[in-house]
Amino acid sequence: MDIINFKNFSWKYSGYRGWTLHNINISIKKGEFIGIIGKIGSGRTTFCSSMLGLVPHFYPGIMEGEIIIDGVNVKETSISELSSHVGLAFQSPANQLTGAGTTIEEELAFGLQNLGVPYEEMNKRIKDMLKLIGLEKFGKRSPFELSGGQQQKVAIASVLIMNPNVLVLDEPTSQLDPLGTEQVFDMVKKLSKKGITIIMSTNNINYLSKFADRIVLFDNAIIKVDTPNKILTDIELLKKHSLTHSDITEVSIRLKKMGLYKGELLVNLEDLKKVVQGLIK
Amino acid sequence: MASIGLSSYVEKDSFFHTINPLTKLVILLCVIIMSFTLSGFVYILLLLLIIIPIAIKSKVLSLTFKPIFKLSFMFILLFIIQGLFHPYATKKLMDLPFGFTLWEDGLLYAAYIASRLFVMMVFGYWFVLTTHPGDLVSSLTKIGLPHALGYIILTTLQIIPRISGQMQTIIDAQRSRGLETEGNLFQRIKSFMPLLGPLFMGSVQQSVEKSMALEARAFSSKGKKTSYRKTNITNMDKIIMTITIIFSITWGVLSWIL
Repeated sequence: MDIINFKNFSWKYSGYRGWTLHNINISIKKGEFIGIIGKIGSGRTTFCSSMLGLVPHFYPGIMEGEIIIDGVNVKETSISELSSHVGLAFQSPANQLTGAGTTIEEELAFGLQNLGVPYEEMNKRIKDMLKLIGLEKFGKRSPFELSGGQQQKVAIASVLIMNPNVLVLDEPTSQLDPLGTEQVFDMVKKLSKKGITIIMSTNNINYLSKFADRIVLFDNAIIKVDTPNKILTDIELLKKHSLTHSDITEVSIRLKKMGLYKGELLVNLEDLKKVVQGLIK
Repeated sequence: MASIGLSSYVEKDSFFHTINPLTKLVILLCVIIMSFTLSGFVYILLLLLIIIPIAIKSKVLSLTFKPIFKLSFMFILLFIIQGLFHPYATKKLMDLPFGFTLWEDGLLYAAYIASRLFVMMVFGYWFVLTTHPGDLVSSLTKIGLPHALGYIILTTLQIIPRISGQMQTIIDAQRSRGLETEGNLFQRIKSFMPLLGPLFMGSVQQSVEKSMALEARAFSSKGKKTSYRKTNITNMDKIIMTITIIFSITWGVLSWIL
């Protein structure tokens, strides 16, 4: 069953000449993990914001086509209403903290308060969410006292707590250190296993190759949609859109050149491990 | 213990920390009204006899009187200026050298103003010390404060320390490019200008992103809202409010009769 459906969707910000996104057609199944790659300015952020309705409701511009998410038409639904269908996390963790919550628990409660969720239910969901993000002991701390990675986890949790079926992450790790990045990816992997549909925009190819079901390459339009193995090893295609392939692919290219390996180019560390182990034997 | 930005709230386990913020607000309002309507400064100062046991019970006695010590210079100045230069002074207390005169009604007037400020500051600071801003906003929202206004009050407390942090980052960035931030007053004012641009633009940009983040959490959703902070008006609150109001009226009437 398709949970997300873009039909001929195009978007132009008012004041800009060209289409930021042109003729987007994609269907995403429930429970899929979609990775979105593309250079800066390729419209990935616009694509992500369109799912919560920031485009067209928040930004002025011209929209064509149609977006149906979780059974609702984005154009006809308010952002607040969409927020219980779609959760959107942004790049900067600190700017997503509302500032109204003096503790992490209150930060998480913010969305639920707005939806009018009763106290007991709120309390239960907060406890569960803190457990999920591994911050049970930090519930009474101020969110501003956390590390970047932890803040980002709180930010993701704060939209997730509203029980959306789709979680959209726009470059959630670009401002984090390697440890923070790993924490966030681990959490996203957990969520994906629970059956939440995940759309993640990131150029962290190493992680995407491990987790994503499909990769979408953006350049103001959808250039290609395919499995991680197909897209992330297409070096020419990546180069054409100002992206680079991963170190693992590079190793497999060199092995091939040396005549040690004959199969397809690799993108996954586990696959590479098998090949290298075979060579050692 | 979580620090709450600008707020001076002190987390303590006491009776007055648990009662409804509105009850404390009623006490504070009564004190303010009394300090403007009572007939003499002695009556006002006697109100301090009430705050001392309350502050002890709230476990914040020394903190409650802290702003007074910090502002003691202002009180001294008040007495000097009013005592020497009160415009409608008629009763002379004593002659001072260099042709100055110390006026009795000037000193009385100063005592009246000082006692007013003194009592209001002590009660006000006690209120701030024992009331969590989240509780205050939550209880005010329940009696009709607009939701968005409540958010603004709360977020301001948290955001101003953050903006001053960003200010420091910008200062460091501009300094590393050779901006002179030290020197005489004129030099400092001049060096302040290049900091405002980035700070202002940065804040605007952040607030755009923040407003999106708020929308992503159903901020403008219509319908009933709930609160994670429990602020119910209990019978105890009602009793305290009633006692406060009855006492204030009695004390006010007494001060004018006696």
